[in-house]
Amino acid sequence: MTDNYDLIIIGGGPAGLSASIYGGRARLKTLVINKGTIGGMPNTTREIVNYPGYVNISGPDLMKDFKKHAESFGVECLKDEVVNVDFSQNEKIIRTKKNKEITAKAVIIACGSEPRLLNIPGEKRLRGNGVAYCATCDAEFFEGEDVVVVGSGDQAIEEGMFITKFARKVSVVVLHDEGILDCNKVSAERALNNEKIEFIWNSTIEEIMGEDNVERVRIKNLKTGSSSELNCQGVFLFVGMIPATNFLKNSGVKMDQKGYIPVNDLMETNLEGVYSAGDNRVKYLRQVVSAAGDGATAAVAAERYIEEMNAFNTNVLQSNKKVLLTFFNALNNESLEFCTQLEETNTELSESYKIVKVDMATKKSLAQQYGIEKAPSVVVLDKGQEITRLDCYGNKVNLKAQLQVQ
Amino acid sequence: MSLAQLKDATFEQIIYEDEAPCLVIFSRKTCHVCKEIVPLLEELQPKYEGKFGFYYVDVEEDKVLLQKFSLKGVPQILFFNEGVYNGKLSGPVEEEQVEEKIEEVLNA
Repeated sequence: MTDNYDLIIIGGGPAGLSASIYGGRARLKTLVINKGTIGGMPNTTREIVNYPGYVNISGPDLMKDFKKHAESFGVECLKDEVVNVDFSQNEKIIRTKKNKEITAKAVIIACGSEPRLLNIPGEKRLRGNGVAYCATCDAEFFEGEDVVVVGSGDQAIEEGMFITKFARKVSVVVLHDEGILDCNKVSAERALNNEKIEFIWNSTIEEIMGEDNVERVRIKNLKTGSSSELNCQGVFLFVGMIPATNFLKNSGVKMDQKGYIPVNDLMETNLEGVYSAGDNRVKYLRQVVSAAGDGATAAVAAERYIEEMNAFNTNVLQSNKKVLLTFFNALNNESLEFCTQLEETNTELSESYKIVKVDMATKKSLAQQYGIEKAPSVVVLDKGQEITRLDCYGNKVNLKAQLQVQ
Repeated sequence: MSLAQLKDATFEQIIYEDEAPCLVIFSRKTCHVCKEIVPLLEELQPKYEGKFGFYYVDVEEDKVLLQKFSLKGVPQILFFNEGVYNGKLSGPVEEEQVEEKIEEVLNA
């Protein structure tokens, strides 16, 4: 069975839910597909203090409000994972892990990112036995013990401070020179003054050791190249994120080396009708507020695209009159003059054709669909079917003769 | 269907006295990874009805069990058969991994 939607949004974080609010409000039949619990990355955040209108709210609570808001506009949610997409046609096809096939006129990719693994010896083997990625979940297990935190972004430093509530000592391993942290200034100041936190600068860890549980890590100083071992019972890794765009590998969606999707101001990807919003796109700032903005932009762009596509369907494919689908280039005088000639000729023939003009500069995909390479070009359509193409390089008499034959 | 919760005493009964093949997820309410994994198990449970048990332990309520297996983190899915510990899966796991492990335990 195939379900059809106007707009499918892959991912139910701030970007996806914001997009769905705009989609639902625009009366688009909108579906959000989300792998786990709706909410995305903020679900892992205890405290959000920079989303306008909320002085202090937990991530999961904020996302519950986003979801409620989306549902109030009739947005549907599907708990499933997208494993495969086909964006080659106007009707975009999405296949899920639970073997559903769903189609949509437009798709917004808002699947966000996932924690990067360090891929060092011991990391996988000792996961759950001292190697951890979530302080809220696991900090308590390290009561009175020594913990190593790797990373210096907001998450690393804030989670590190949370861990000090339980651990005896927290050693934070930082890549940068002494005093330099990637996190926000307020947290940096607090962490640098926290008596339980010790910083290990210019360093990274290269191995996590221990038989059944973490016993120690090997730390490499990047300046001197020397290695040393540090005893600890826990290692929390916060070494950044990678975009969760692996399922798009063969989709034709352009991605950069790391897997982030480049877009323009309208959040358009290189594929018509496919948009990318939030953390999975190439961007400067990855926050709830900027993700929400992306989502709104992508949804409005998608809405306009769907509108144009619907208009093309009614005006061209379902027209009672034969249609002269006329490709022109606004920068090319010859093609503009040709358009005038064509209009005049059609008037002389008592408007027996409907003329639909297409600017090649903005409707590249339409030109591509009809294999048009130069302007002017005219495709004659009858009930959506191509019957012939006009020779656009003769005089008006020639043009009229061609139109009278049809 | 939600998973049956085990307490210290019922844990003894089910795992060591009944010796039934089963899995037990150790989780806590404030853990976002657990929130992803528990529903996955709930969905899988009916498929193994009568063949393989699905249980959960809330580590905040039952610290004793946590210490017994010297677990350092949640979620962790522990597998048992005939009263013997058969290994575990830690952190975020996929449905296939859980099924694979269940088959492994059942066919051991």
